Amino acid sequence: MSSTISAQTSQSAKVADNGRTPRAGKRDVWLVFWIVPAFYTAFGVIFFALARVMPPPRPDVTTDQMVHFFHAHGLTIKIGFGVLVLIVGGAGVANGIVVYHMKRMTVGSVMAYAYLGSMSIGALPGCLLVAFCFLTAVYRPGRDRQVLALLYDLGLLSYVGSLGCFTTAYFAFAVAILYDRNNIFPKWLAYVSVWQIVTEVLAVPVFVSKAGPFAWNGSIAFWMGTVIFGFWLSCVIVFLMKANERQPVDEPPLD
Amino acid sequence: MQILAEAEDLPKTANIKTQLISLWTAPVFGVVLLIAFLAFPGFFPPMSPDMTAEQVARFYSDHTAMIRFSMITFNLCGVMLLPFFMVIVIQMKRMATQSHIFAYCYLTAAVSGATLFALADIFYLTAAFRPDRSPELVMLLNDMAWMIFIAPVGAFVAMNLLLGLAVFFDNGPNPVFPRWVGYYAIGTALAIAPAASAAVFATGPLAWNGVVSFWLRNGAFALFVIVMFVVLRNVLHRQAVEEGVAR
Repeated sequence: MSSTISAQTSQSAKVADNGRTPRAGKRDVWLVFWIVPAFYTAFGVIFFALARVMPPPRPDVTTDQMVHFFHAHGLTIKIGFGVLVLIVGGAGVANGIVVYHMKRMTVGSVMAYAYLGSMSIGALPGCLLVAFCFLTAVYRPGRDRQVLALLYDLGLLSYVGSLGCFTTAYFAFAVAILYDRNNIFPKWLAYVSVWQIVTEVLAVPVFVSKAGPFAWNGSIAFWMGTVIFGFWLSCVIVFLMKANERQPVDEPPLD
Repeated sequence: MQILAEAEDLPKTANIKTQLISLWTAPVFGVVLLIAFLAFPGFFPPMSPDMTAEQVARFYSDHTAMIRFSMITFNLCGVMLLPFFMVIVIQMKRMATQSHIFAYCYLTAAVSGATLFALADIFYLTAAFRPDRSPELVMLLNDMAWMIFIAPVGAFVAMNLLLGLAVFFDNGPNPVFPRWVGYYAIGTALAIAPAASAAVFATGPLAWNGVVSFWLRNGAFALFVIVMFVVLRNVLHRQAVEEGVAR
């Protein structure tokens, strides 16, 4: 970070006036940035530890076992998804800061808008619908067993199987990075995003397969996709941080 | 379009190139989506709301493979049309004689409309996932899918009204779109609007399988994408020439 500061001479002149070292980048962007890792940490705790959606419960079970799943995890589903519906705005913040830095690229705004739009689409079928299905299921656990099984299928298929919204977002992200001359993000992050598209395509069989590597809890359809997503997300967070650090404090606001 | 060598690395050139990529996703994925449309066994003719629960359940168990093929393709490729609509947003933002308010409203409306389509798709796929569940529940999923797919046209109607207004307000010496695009957008909005009636009508041309709600609505949407592809190609070419990026 110190090298970036010293590179910006006009800024260090200002520093001398105040007599203290400000952080590189803009304060408001830093504030928004820290919400991203905080939100995704909470997201991980909710989906892995509380709601038990990750890793997903098995698709190849009987109706009774699905009903048992809701009975066994009713309390943690209520806590987890109850918190999720409160903090889900963090997803909007996480997408917003990526769009902000995409708009700082030298590629026009079309890919930033495509990213904004497709990630916003993903918020309902790809994130919230499973919460609504599971919350509705555990709200009245005495409901008809077949209806509970339907909510189980609908929730998990929508969560693991909403593909196109995210492929479009990764496509827009990758194209923008590759054409950008401001080097907001490194070029190889575009290729990691292409791998994200590959994992979405490999999740296609969750709508067909009920067991094995391509089922919604399978080693390829779920685990490989999740590991690559985790890697991609970590890279995005690190490079958002670097983009903040390199941003001159006096860069004019976006139009 | 031929990009000039001396303009190759400029930001304004990248702006044109990324718009061209977004524009060309429309014909590429349009063909894919057309195949998905033709492959769905319940579109020729569209499934009637009159079908009994047993008939609907039998439809899903008889045609499981093709339903999955079609709806998975829509799932994976449907949102790939969004970058094409974002090109329209970018061009609306180039209109010199107005604020960008119509463009941003167009953007948010496009997101709402596409979200509903992605949602409907999941309902079709959940119905086809276990067609052996209680017929009443398969019918519930099928009804939800059709209802969400056909009836909520509000977003696309709003998009076209906004585009039409933007074109009419763009009355300076150098308009982005030709004026007929404004009339065409309003016309598309009017052609699609009656499909909202599918939310209440179960028979006749306004039901979800009717001539108006299904064929006019979906036909007008497909035609809009084709027409606007040609229009945007010309608009982009003119922008590139004006900005000294291409000839």
